[in-house]
Amino acid sequence: MRSETLFSEVMDPKNRANPYPLYELFRQTPVAKQSDGSFVVSTHENIRTLLFDPRLSSEDLPPSRRPHTGNPIKDWILNPIKNRVVTAHRPFIFRDPPDHDTLRKFVMDEFTIQRVNDAHGRVESLVDEFIERCRGRSEVCLVEDLSYPLPVAVICDLLGVPEEDEPHFQRWATQLATALEPDARHDETGRHAIVAAFDEISAYMRKLIREKRRRPADDMLSRLAKPGNKRTPGMGDIDLIATGILLLVAGHETTVNLITNAMLTLLRNPDELEKLKADPERAPRLIEEVLRYEPPVHFRTRKATSPIDIDRVTIPAGAPVILLFAAANRDPARFANPDRFDPDRADNQHFGFGGGLHYCVGAPLARIEAEIALVTLCRRLREPRLMSDPPPYRSGASLRGPASLGIHINGIS
Amino acid sequence: MRIVVDLNRCQGYAQCCYAAPEHFELRGHEILFYDPAPPERERARIERAQQACPVRAISIEPADLAEQDEP
Repeated sequence: MRSETLFSEVMDPKNRANPYPLYELFRQTPVAKQSDGSFVVSTHENIRTLLFDPRLSSEDLPPSRRPHTGNPIKDWILNPIKNRVVTAHRPFIFRDPPDHDTLRKFVMDEFTIQRVNDAHGRVESLVDEFIERCRGRSEVCLVEDLSYPLPVAVICDLLGVPEEDEPHFQRWATQLATALEPDARHDETGRHAIVAAFDEISAYMRKLIREKRRRPADDMLSRLAKPGNKRTPGMGDIDLIATGILLLVAGHETTVNLITNAMLTLLRNPDELEKLKADPERAPRLIEEVLRYEPPVHFRTRKATSPIDIDRVTIPAGAPVILLFAAANRDPARFANPDRFDPDRADNQHFGFGGGLHYCVGAPLARIEAEIALVTLCRRLREPRLMSDPPPYRSGASLRGPASLGIHINGIS
Repeated sequence: MRIVVDLNRCQGYAQCCYAAPEHFELRGHEILFYDPAPPERERARIERAQQACPVRAISIEPADLAEQDEP
């Protein structure tokens, strides 16, 4: 297979269940130019180098564009202004320093150790409640029954989003998450759909922030929305909306994959499931190994702002660069027996949460959720078995995970 | 047990601070302070911190090594 068209194979849904043989081909050309001019980087060392290279920009989304309406005021005045505002106030995952650092710091200052660790008890009771609902059934649909509702409830709690509003933004979250998928962001219809979802969720977020200012509570949105003063200026309204949306979408679309991939991997490795059951203290190393072996996010894209020489290849200025984390996670130059699921491996330096400036903000929370979910599932589901292998997958190639995971059980303990 | 953090590797991701806040603290978003000899009963948390480190900078060594080091 020619390396110039290999990435279109990665994007092809037929390879979603097992993209790893393709990643192995990619690693043979560690910096592989694609026929569309983008470069795919797939080895551990090269990705580690590039994650710290300031010439790689995260501001790689095409400018926001609203569809033509036929109304001249909208088409020539209002929408161009809206497009410019949205493009200039992207959430910090799509921003570079110094703006990125300022915005991220606002969030990190509120994403405190105490706030994250306080979620512990809430996660435990939610997991038990979700599993209890499956009592009397002979099968569990893991995504629907637990992996999706758990992170959603937790992020809504943390941000202070009323639970009854949640069903509204499921669709928006899924639509906005496609901004991470190269095919959706370059397709005109896909871009219009992203903008439409963004407009709707922004209107919601704007209202919610106004409400938080009127009646502040002890939640992250209230804290972020607190007006600043001369010495410590607050976040601007448009950035605040973008940040709220980012946290909400990230809470909807990523941890679901971590939990489902972890359970799928355990069901494929029953001896590991038994070991975890016997010794719940194994959970942290097990989850780190899932983050290496079946990560929730397979790649992220960047843009070269000036020419970059790496591994005897020159990436020209302006070229899109795809950092294929999931391929680096199985790089035999970095990991012994990379295709083996081995929670006991030493020195597991994976890219499951990315790396560098954009390292996943929610990582500590995701770890808590995944650990409690896995340990409780192993303890409470009796004789769990996979209903079909491989399971059906969601469409995303970057945010990759099963669409559903049916598990036969012989009751609940 | 004795904890050794390779401070040349540490990049201040602060994941250990979330996992074991009593034993790891990041000051000014950059400088890591840690408890080099936590009690044995804290092992589970310390291991959680070790596992969560994105650059694998934390190692846990047996306490007898620490005793040998003492003058």
